[in-house]
Amino acid sequence: MASEHIIKSYDEELRKLSNTITEMGGLAESQLATAIDAVIKRDSELAASVVEGDAKVDQLQRDLDNLAIRLLALRQPMARDLREIFAALKIASDLERICDYAANVAKRAIALNQTPPVRPVYALPRMAHLAELLVKDVIDAYVAHDAEKSYAVWTRDAELDEMYSSLFRELLTYMMEDPRNISACTHLLFMAKNIERIGDHATNIAEDVYYLVHGTPLTEARPKGDQSNLEIVNPARRAE
Amino acid sequence: MRNVDFFYDSFRALKNISVPLNDKRVTAFIGPSGCGKSTLLRILNRIYELYPGQRATGEVLVDGENILAAGLDLNLLRAKIGMVFQKPTPFPMSIYDNIAFGIRLYEHPRRSELDDRVESALRRAALWDEVKDKLRQSGLSLSGGQQQRLCIARAVAVEPEILLLDEPASALDPLSTQRIEELIAELKSDYCIAIVTHNMQQAARSSDYTAFMYLGELIEFDETERIFTHPAQKQTEDYITGRFG
Repeated sequence: MASEHIIKSYDEELRKLSNTITEMGGLAESQLATAIDAVIKRDSELAASVVEGDAKVDQLQRDLDNLAIRLLALRQPMARDLREIFAALKIASDLERICDYAANVAKRAIALNQTPPVRPVYALPRMAHLAELLVKDVIDAYVAHDAEKSYAVWTRDAELDEMYSSLFRELLTYMMEDPRNISACTHLLFMAKNIERIGDHATNIAEDVYYLVHGTPLTEARPKGDQSNLEIVNPARRAE
Repeated sequence: MRNVDFFYDSFRALKNISVPLNDKRVTAFIGPSGCGKSTLLRILNRIYELYPGQRATGEVLVDGENILAAGLDLNLLRAKIGMVFQKPTPFPMSIYDNIAFGIRLYEHPRRSELDDRVESALRRAALWDEVKDKLRQSGLSLSGGQQQRLCIARAVAVEPEILLLDEPASALDPLSTQRIEELIAELKSDYCIAIVTHNMQQAARSSDYTAFMYLGELIEFDETERIFTHPAQKQTEDYITGRFG
C-alpha cells in the first residue's frame, strides 16, 4: 500500500476517515438486511428498530463531514490525499441515502403488516440480497482501493434493475387481478423502488472508488436494465 | 532547454534536462533542497558564468537561438532575461534611480521618456501608488514586500521577454506574498515566467505548468492542475503529499 506521511497525525486522520466509511457501510448492509427480515417475518417491532437506527448513520455522516473539512483546511491535501477526502465525502453521502432507503423499506413493512400477505413479497428478498452484496462489495473495493472490483459492482447493478422491472410488471398484474391487492402491492412497489435506488447509489460509490484510484472518472455509459419507465401492462393480454 | 547538463567543477548537478518554458505562461520548478532547481534557473541568463568552475552543456533555445552559444552578448541577454532573487536586492540609491539605472545602461532616453519608463515599470509592479510621492527616497527605506516589488519593477523596466523568479516570496509575509502572486498573474500576459519555489501551495496557485526535480533530474513536467491532482510519477506524488523521506 501507500507509504506513510512524514507527519504521522495526517495518516491517523485519513485512517479515521476510512474507518468511518467502513462503519457506515456495515450499517447500510445490516439495516437493509434487518428491514427485509422484518418484511418476511411481518415483524413490526424489528422494522421500528431499523427506523430508529437510521439516526446513527446520520450522525456518522456529520462526523465525517467535519473531519473532511478539517483535513481540507489544515492539511492542504494534494493528489491522492485530496481524492481520498473528496471520495470519502461523496461515499458517505451515498451511504447515508442507502440507509434512508433501508429505513423507508422498514416503515413500509409496518404498513404492510396491516394487510393480508401477498405472493410477490417473496421476490423482494432476492432483490434485497443482491443489493446488499453490491453494497458489501463496493465498500470492500473502497477499503482495498480496488478499481477493478468497483467496476464489477458498477456493471452488476443492471441485474438489480432487471429484477426491479420484472417485479414491477408482476405487481401491476396482481393489482389488476384483484383491487384488494392494491394497498399491499403499492407498498411493495415502493419498497422495490427503494432497493433499486440502493443499487444506483452503490454504483455511485463504485464511480467514486474508481476516481479515487485512477484520478480519472469512469465515463462509460452504465448498462441500465430498468425498463419500468416504459412499462405498461395491458389487461387484455393478461386474459390469455 | 534541451539535454542540459550542469557542472560545479566535476560534480554533475543537472542531468540531461529537457523542459519547455511556454510564453505567456508561468512554469514553476519544485523539488527538495539540492535538487537543482535554482541551478537550472541560473543557466537561463548565464549568471553562473560569474563563477569559475561552473559550466553548462546542451542547448537553451530562446526563439530558436541557442543562448549558451559562445560569442553572445551577455549584457543584452540579461536584459532580455530578467532575474529576481529570494532576498530583495535594491540598489543603495533612490527608488527612481533603482529603476533608471538599468534603462540608462542599455539606452539613452530623454528625461521625460525616462520618467515615463520609471512610472510604467513601477505601475507594472503594483508599486507606483505607494512610492510616487517619494521617488527620491532610498530604495532601502521600503518594506521587504515593497523592496521585492521594486526589484520586479527594475527587472521589467528594461523590457525583458523572460522573467526568472528565484523564491521571490519566501522572505516575505503572507500578505506581501499574495501581492507578489497577484503581480505574477498580471505579468504573465506579457512575459514568459519561470519561478523556483519550495512552497508547493504557491506553485499550485500561481503556475500553469510545474516541473518536479530530484537530485538533478527532471522527474515530471506537466500542467499544474494534473501534477497536483494526479501526477504520473510516484516520486512526484510522494513529494507533494508529504510522504518524502
